[in-house]
Amino acid sequence: MGFGRYVVARTLWAAAVSLIITTITFLLLAAAPNPQVQEAATQAALQGGDPAEAAERARELRGLDEPLYVRYADFVRGVYTLDWGWAESRSQPVTEALAQGLYYTAQYSVPWTILTVLIGPLVGVYSAANMYSWKDHAATGFAFFGYAIPNFFFGIILLLIFGVWLEAIPIVYNTDVPVFSVRNAVQLAVPVFVLVTGSIGAIMRVSRNESAEFQNADFMKTAKAKGVSPLRAYAYHVMRPTLVPLSTTLVGQLLALFLGSSLLVEVVFGIPGIGRVTYDALIAQDTNLVLGSTLAFTFVAVVGNLLEDIVFTVLDPRISYDDR
Amino acid sequence: MTTQEPDRFDRVDWDEISRSRWFDPSINGVGVLATAIPLLLVALYDWLVLDERTPTLDPVGLGWDVGTVDYLFLFTLSLFAFYIVLPLFQHPRRTRYYWREFRRNRPAVVSLGWLGVVFVGGILGPFLVSAPEQSILTGYQPPVFLSIDESYVSTCVGDIVGGRCQGTWRHPLGTTAGGKDVFAGIVHGMTISMQIGFITTTIVASIGIAVGTVSAYAGGWVDEVLMRFVDVVLSFPTLLMFLLVLYIYGAGLGMFILVFSAFAWGGTARYVRSKSLSIAEAEFIKANRISGASTYRVVRRHVAPNAASSIITQLTLLIPGFLLAEAQLAFLGLGDSAIPSWGQLISAGRSDLSFAPWIVLAPGMVLFLTILAFNFLGDALLDALNPEAEAENA
Repeated sequence: MGFGRYVVARTLWAAAVSLIITTITFLLLAAAPNPQVQEAATQAALQGGDPAEAAERARELRGLDEPLYVRYADFVRGVYTLDWGWAESRSQPVTEALAQGLYYTAQYSVPWTILTVLIGPLVGVYSAANMYSWKDHAATGFAFFGYAIPNFFFGIILLLIFGVWLEAIPIVYNTDVPVFSVRNAVQLAVPVFVLVTGSIGAIMRVSRNESAEFQNADFMKTAKAKGVSPLRAYAYHVMRPTLVPLSTTLVGQLLALFLGSSLLVEVVFGIPGIGRVTYDALIAQDTNLVLGSTLAFTFVAVVGNLLEDIVFTVLDPRISYDDR
Repeated sequence: MTTQEPDRFDRVDWDEISRSRWFDPSINGVGVLATAIPLLLVALYDWLVLDERTPTLDPVGLGWDVGTVDYLFLFTLSLFAFYIVLPLFQHPRRTRYYWREFRRNRPAVVSLGWLGVVFVGGILGPFLVSAPEQSILTGYQPPVFLSIDESYVSTCVGDIVGGRCQGTWRHPLGTTAGGKDVFAGIVHGMTISMQIGFITTTIVASIGIAVGTVSAYAGGWVDEVLMRFVDVVLSFPTLLMFLLVLYIYGAGLGMFILVFSAFAWGGTARYVRSKSLSIAEAEFIKANRISGASTYRVVRRHVAPNAASSIITQLTLLIPGFLLAEAQLAFLGLGDSAIPSWGQLISAGRSDLSFAPWIVLAPGMVLFLTILAFNFLGDALLDALNPEAEAENA
């Protein structure tokens, strides 16, 4: 199989996965009682009407009386044409609500991802180069600390120290501040710091252990014997092979963190991002919006995994396409 | 003195050593069955005979109502006792070797001690420390040796010195806004954490090992289908899926454990598959096959035991993820509010952080230390159980 065919096959598979997930979501929804129908029935009962009839009317209004396969076809068409319905709790289309959330989520996600991807492997390789020195131990300790401390707990503590006691940062996120301004940087510094410490640990560990293997490899000895400067030796001969196994874990871990942490960090720091939108929709029982954000996160994960696999084959030409 | 005749190879009674009949359970299997059957009987009795309000142990005079999660927890505990702890006693020489290797890693020994405390506290604690109870009057009591301004507390259990309420030993870690004792909350939270850790691990391990070994051994299209299925499982955002289930059906601790273990075994299955593929290449497996061992026997007696150490390590590193997820959900107010987990305590104290930080700090630190301990332990087990990994480091 050539590279082109591999990419096509992998992309088709990603589409199939997204369809499977959409189907499961639909089945989950179809099997559950619809809160809006129940609400209509309760309303009718309270006002002296017939609850069964009101429930029937509400079902008809939402097209729930049609056969399952028609509803399924409608649902799938709606999902893939980005017709995700109306978010009642926010009085705007679901896609618009999500886009608004994304605007704030991107403001801290972009610096967070860049910092993690830059610092993680660098510190990992550095600590492998100085293995078992105090610098290595300090880096390892930091990695374990960041990995083990729950993000939301760490966020609360930092908010208590810098927000309440030192009053250096605002306690509640201010949306009126322009994106590229010092005040915005100050209020986003702590969330970004919390997320970076949380995600960097695993990457540091993996890159440290992986690059340790290449430290004493024959090609490193050759490079040193030829008088290559340490910086160049590490950058070209250790970093590159380290990035290959790292890339398999990197995207997956960042995505997992993005899905879980963005929700918590946004709730703790009061950032009105996409996680916060999901959370509010859950509380307000806004089915369309809950569904929309779940699907949005899922598609991000599917596309991320797809990109990861493709980047992996580009980075490491030794991998044959048939094995995977 | 007579000289003792050394054992001779040709006089070994092989039937004594290898068990070849199809149903001949080891002492470990007997132990598990001996605990599982009474447990099942009690569960059936609870389900069929007693009505819903009567606590399960009422006929014996105890007020403990055993729930589904408790039954599962007791069963996994017996699995742990008979398949992890008992073998350590059955093979003392190997245990001593592991311990020597393990002991060299100081943080891991401390971690093991801490996890031992959490384990014992989680099992015995609820019988020794009564569940935290609401009592509005004694809210915001400070921990012992600390004090809080008089204006925050309505009734101070300790002395009031210079307008500040002093902490007492009656509430060693203080109380929440509702007057719940934080220490009692933490002890009861240990039970929840242990339940989550043990049950999820057992479910993940059984599905993951089954799928992984079958996939590795069957090969061909079975392997292909199973691994593509694992891909789907791995692409699921578990937290969001759980939120969706919670939103539609509502969910307690049992549902949490079910959903999270149903989506967490993907990584284990992949890992077990690659591990068994590499073991299957070994010479002794070929020898086994040539002597006519069935596939089941090869997998059960040779591949699974050889892969066991790395699987245990991988599972150790999964547990903190579950604990964290539970705490996160509880913090968001989406967990099971009826159970006293650490996350519930943290979220209960969040609004009082500026003047009563102990409500958040105490359970938060316990959670942090437990997650840290599992990570250190997994790292050390990797070195102790896997001699190859160590050879690479040296």
